[in-house]
Amino acid sequence: MVVPEHVSERRLSIPNNAITGILLAIPGYFAGVWLGTLFGLNDDQNTGVILGYVFATVAFLAGVGFLNYPLERLFGWRVSPLTDPDENRGVGRFFRLSLDHKVIGLQYLVTILIMLLFGGIGAMMIRTSLLVPDSSITPSGNYISLIGLHSVMMIFITSAVIVGPFGNYLVPLMIGARRMAFPRLEALSFWVVPPAAVILAAATFWGGFPTGWTGYPPLSEQASQAMDSYIVGFALIAVALVTSAINMLATIIGLRAPGMTWTRLPIFVWGIFTTSILGLLAAPVLAAALFMLTLDRTTQTSFFLASNGGSNYLWENLFWFFGHPEVYIFILPAFGIIMEIVPHFARKPLWGYRTGVVGLFGVMLLSFFVWQHHLFVSGIAPVLRPFYMLSTELISIPTGIIFLVTLGTLWRARVWFTVPMLFCMGFLFNFLIGGVSGVYLSDVPTDVTLHGSYFSMAHFHYTIMGGEIFALMAAAYYWLPKMTGKMLSPTIGRIHFWWMFIAFNSTFFPLFIVGLLNMPRRVSSYDPALVGLNRWVTVSAYFLFGSMVLFAANLIYSWFFVARPALANPWHARSLEWQVPTPVPARNFERVPLVVAGPYDYGIPNARPVADLGGMVGATGGG
Amino acid sequence: MGVFRIEEADRPHLLRLLIIWVVLSIVGILAALQIHYPPYDQSVQGQDQSRTLALLTILALPVFIGVVIMVLYSAIYFRRTTTELIDGPPMLGNTPVQIAWIAISAALVLFLAVVGIVTLASSNVAQAVNAPGRAIGQSGGQTGSGTAGGAGPELQVQVVAQQWYFTYRYADYGGVETTHLYLPVDRPVELHVTSLDIIHSFWAYQLGVKADANPGVDNIFHVTPQKTGSFQVRCAELCGLWHGHMADSEGQVVSQSEFDTWIAQQQKDYEVISKAVPSYAPFYFPEPLLKAG
Amino acid sequence: MAVRTRAYEADAAAEAALDTRLVGIGTWLALAADIFFFAAWWFAFFYLRALNNNQAWKAQGVGPPSKGYGAVVLVLALATAVAYFLGSRPASGTFLFRLLTPVALVLGLATCLFQGYELWHLGFGLTDGGYPSVFAGLSSAWVIQFGLATAWLASIVTQAGPAGDTIARRRPASSFAWILLFLAATGIVNYFLLYFVA
Repeated sequence: MVVPEHVSERRLSIPNNAITGILLAIPGYFAGVWLGTLFGLNDDQNTGVILGYVFATVAFLAGVGFLNYPLERLFGWRVSPLTDPDENRGVGRFFRLSLDHKVIGLQYLVTILIMLLFGGIGAMMIRTSLLVPDSSITPSGNYISLIGLHSVMMIFITSAVIVGPFGNYLVPLMIGARRMAFPRLEALSFWVVPPAAVILAAATFWGGFPTGWTGYPPLSEQASQAMDSYIVGFALIAVALVTSAINMLATIIGLRAPGMTWTRLPIFVWGIFTTSILGLLAAPVLAAALFMLTLDRTTQTSFFLASNGGSNYLWENLFWFFGHPEVYIFILPAFGIIMEIVPHFARKPLWGYRTGVVGLFGVMLLSFFVWQHHLFVSGIAPVLRPFYMLSTELISIPTGIIFLVTLGTLWRARVWFTVPMLFCMGFLFNFLIGGVSGVYLSDVPTDVTLHGSYFSMAHFHYTIMGGEIFALMAAAYYWLPKMTGKMLSPTIGRIHFWWMFIAFNSTFFPLFIVGLLNMPRRVSSYDPALVGLNRWVTVSAYFLFGSMVLFAANLIYSWFFVARPALANPWHARSLEWQVPTPVPARNFERVPLVVAGPYDYGIPNARPVADLGGMVGATGGG
Repeated sequence: MGVFRIEEADRPHLLRLLIIWVVLSIVGILAALQIHYPPYDQSVQGQDQSRTLALLTILALPVFIGVVIMVLYSAIYFRRTTTELIDGPPMLGNTPVQIAWIAISAALVLFLAVVGIVTLASSNVAQAVNAPGRAIGQSGGQTGSGTAGGAGPELQVQVVAQQWYFTYRYADYGGVETTHLYLPVDRPVELHVTSLDIIHSFWAYQLGVKADANPGVDNIFHVTPQKTGSFQVRCAELCGLWHGHMADSEGQVVSQSEFDTWIAQQQKDYEVISKAVPSYAPFYFPEPLLKAG
Repeated sequence: MAVRTRAYEADAAAEAALDTRLVGIGTWLALAADIFFFAAWWFAFFYLRALNNNQAWKAQGVGPPSKGYGAVVLVLALATAVAYFLGSRPASGTFLFRLLTPVALVLGLATCLFQGYELWHLGFGLTDGGYPSVFAGLSSAWVIQFGLATAWLASIVTQAGPAGDTIARRRPASSFAWILLFLAATGIVNYFLLYFVA
C-alpha cells in the first residue's frame, strides 16, 4: 500500500505480545461470565461460559495487538503501514503480532506441533484403555471425554498443519512475492489457534464433552458446559480457515511475480489454492451450525429438537456439508506436497502437470457433492443414496489422477532417496489403502456393516495420518532447512521413517479387521474375543508414538544443537523458494523477480534458470 | 492422435510389471475368495452385503497390487545410480496413457456404482420414512423403492432405542414391548427404528442391519432372516456415557413355531406393564419439550 | 547487469493499483464465504418448514412480527448501502464522499437499533417452535454482521479527515460498498422468507 509521508507518532502504547494477551484474557473471561449471568437465562451457565470464552479470546487478541489498527482508524489517527515486516530479528518476534509471513509460518509450526503432542498423548490414553475389553482402566464417561478431546484436537491440528506452517512460509516465496496480500488477516488466522486449543483443553474442567468431534444433537444439547468449549473452539478454527483462505487466494491471484503464469505455478501452490477455496466456502456453514447449537443451548430455541419443530438432521446435514470438504482440506495440501517433492528428487518434470491440476480441482469440486455418504444409514430419503454413492465413488477418479501423475514422474527417473522422498513413497502406500477403503464405505450395502465401526476409523486414520501426516513429515524434512536454516539429520530421519511406517501400518491395518468383526467406534468395552487384536494395536500405537518422539528429538536437536547451517539449496531444486539465501531476507527478494521458466524443467536441454533475481546476494539463480 | 506406440525404453519395464502384476493379482484374488465376509449369511440382505464386500475386495486387490508394485519397482529400478545428480528424461506427459488411466478408473467406479445401486434396489437394504401419524401395521414406505410385491406378510417390529438400551415392540401382537429381539426365520421383517431421546444406531451385526434411531423419526429397514441362530446387537452411534455397553447379545432367529410360543409368553409376562406403557406409535416424545443445555 | 523487473514498491501508482486490486479480490472472497453462511440459514428455514416435526414449525398462534416494521429495517439497510455506494464511487468527488459517508453511518446505526429493538420485542417466545428459532437466529446473525459493517463504516468516516487514509485510498474504500450492498440484499431475502414465506 502507499506509505503515507508522515507516519503518525501516536500509537496505543501498551506492549503488544502474547503475555499481554494472556493477562488481558483472564479478566476478559470473567467479564464474559458475569455478563452471561446477567441475562438470567435458565441455561446452566452456558451463556456465561460462551461469553467468557469469546471475551477472553477478544481480550487476548487485543493484547496481541489486533485491535490497534481498527482503533487507530476509529480515532482518526493516521494508520501504521500494513505491510512492513518486522525488521527485528530477535526471538521476541515470534510472540508478537508479526506481519512477516515467514514468522507466522514458524509460529504455526511450533504451536501445531505442541498441539500434536497433546493429541497424541490423548491417543495413547485411549489405546491404553482398550487393552482390556471392559471399562476397568478408564471409566466409560472419562473414555468418551477422552476421545472427544483427542479427536477435536486432531481436527484442529490437521486443518492447519500444512497450510499454516508451509503454506504461509512458502507460498509468497514460490510465487515470487515479497509479502502476502493481507498480512494482518493472516496473523489473525494464526493467533486464534492458541486460544482455540486452550479453550478446547478447558473442556476437561467441565468433565469433557460426550459427542466426539461430530457434535450430534440432541446429545450435544444434553451435554454439560464442556460442550461450549467445543463450540467456541471450533468457531475459532472456522475463523482461521476463512481468514487464511481469503489471504492465500488473494495472494496467489494478485501477487504473482511477472512471468509467474498459472502454468508455471508450483503444484504445491495449486494445492493450497484449492484447499483455500474449500475452507472459504465450507467453514461458514459450520459457523452457522455452531451458532444454531449455541442458541439451542442458551436461549432454548429448537433448531435440532424434533419434539419442538427442529430436526437432528438439520445439524447432520449442515455439519457434514462442512465436514466433508473439511477432510479434503486435510488432504489437498498433502497431495500438493507429494506432487511437489517427487519431481525434485526424481529429477524429472512433473509428469502431466495440467492433469494434476485438473485432479486437484476435480477433488475440490466433487467434495461439495458427497456429504450425505456420512448419512447413509441415518434415515435419509432412500432416493438420495444412489446419487451420493455415485458422487462419492466418482471422487476416486481425480484422486487416482494424483497417483497417476506421481507414478508417471517416477517412471524411468533417477530417484534420489532422501528422507522426504521416503515419506512420499510411504504416503503413496498409505493413502492407497486409505482411499480404497473409502470405496468400501461409499458403497451403501457394505456401508451398512462398516459405518460407525472401526473400519471407518481405520479408513480415516489411514487417509489423515497415513496421508497428511506422512506428507507433513516429507514437507518438514524437505523445507525445514530453508525455514530454520538447519538440516534435519538424515540418519535419524531414515530410522524415523521406517519406524513410523511399520508402526503405523501395524497399528491401523488390524483395525479394518476389528471393524469387520463387529466393534463399533467410540466404545471402551468390546467383545472379549477381540482382545488379542486390540492389544496388538495398542502396543503398535506405543511404538508409533515413539517414532513421533524421535521426530521431535530430531527437530529439536537439529534446530538448536547443530551448529552447521544448511546450504541455501541442499536439494539443488529449481523452484523459486530455493533460490533465495538462507536465512531468508525479511522481504524475501531484493526486488520482485522476473520468472522465465517452470520449476520442474529437469532434463530439458538448455533450460533457463527459473527466474532472474536481479543479482541478489546469496541467491543461487535457479538450480 | 495416431497409433499408440510404446517406447523401446519402456518395454522391458512394462513387461516385467505386467507379469508380476498378473501373477500377484491372481494369487490375491484366489486368497480373497477364501475369506468369509461379514455379515455372513444369516439374512438375505446380509448375504447380498457379503457378496458386495467380496466383489469390492476382488476388484480392489489388483488396483492395490498394481500401484504398490509400481512404487516398489520405481524404488528398485529407477533409483539414482551415479554419485552426481543427473537429471532424468524430460517426460512431460503422455496423453494416451492419461486418458487410458482415467477411462479405466472411471469404468471401474461406474461399475461399482451400478452394482451398488442394483443391490440396493433388489434387496431393500433400507427405506426411511418420516411420517407422523402413519397407521400401525402399514407396511412399506412412501418413497417407492418399495418391497417387491408390495404389502406382503411382513412382520412389523419396532426397535426403540434410549439411553442406554434397546427394546422392541411387536405391532402385530398388541404392541408388546420386549427386551430381546426374536425373529421368525424366512419371514420378511420391517424394522421401524426410533429413539426416545437422542441419536442411537441399531446395529444387528449378523443380520446386516444398521439403522440410526432418531427422536421423532420412524427409520425403516427391511430384513429377511434365512438361518436360525443368535445375533449381536450393538449401538453404533455415540450416545453418551454407556454407549459402549449398549449391546444385546441375545438376539435370536428362531423357527416360526418357537417364535409364536415366545411372543405369547412375552404377552403374558408383560400383560400388566403393557397397559401402563404408551400405546404403539411410529415414534414417541416422552418429554413434550426437551430443554437443551 | 540485472534486468529491470517491475518492482512495484518503487512506483507509488503501481502500488496503489495493486492495493486496490487486492482489496477488491479480498472483498469478493469474503462475500463468497458470507453467501454460504446465509445459505446455511436459508436451508435451515426451508428444511425445518418442510419437516414440520411434531407440527411444531410454529406453535399455536405464532406469526411473523409486523411486516411494516420489518420493512423499515430493510429500507434503512438499503439506504445505508446506497448512500455509501453513491458517496464512495471514485467518480464522486471528495465533497460527495465526505457528505454521504456520515449519512450512511447514521442510517446504519439506525438499522441496527431498529432491528435490535424488534428482536427484543418479537411477540413470540424462542421456545415456540422452529420458525421462531430460525427467525431469531437468522435476524441476529444478520444484525451482528451489519453492526460490524457499521463499525467499519464509522472508521471510514473518521479516516475521511485530513489525517486519514480513506481519501488517499478512495478506490479500496469503494470496495466496501459491495459489502454493504450484499448485506442489504441478504436482508431483502431474509425479509421475504421470514415475513412472507414464513
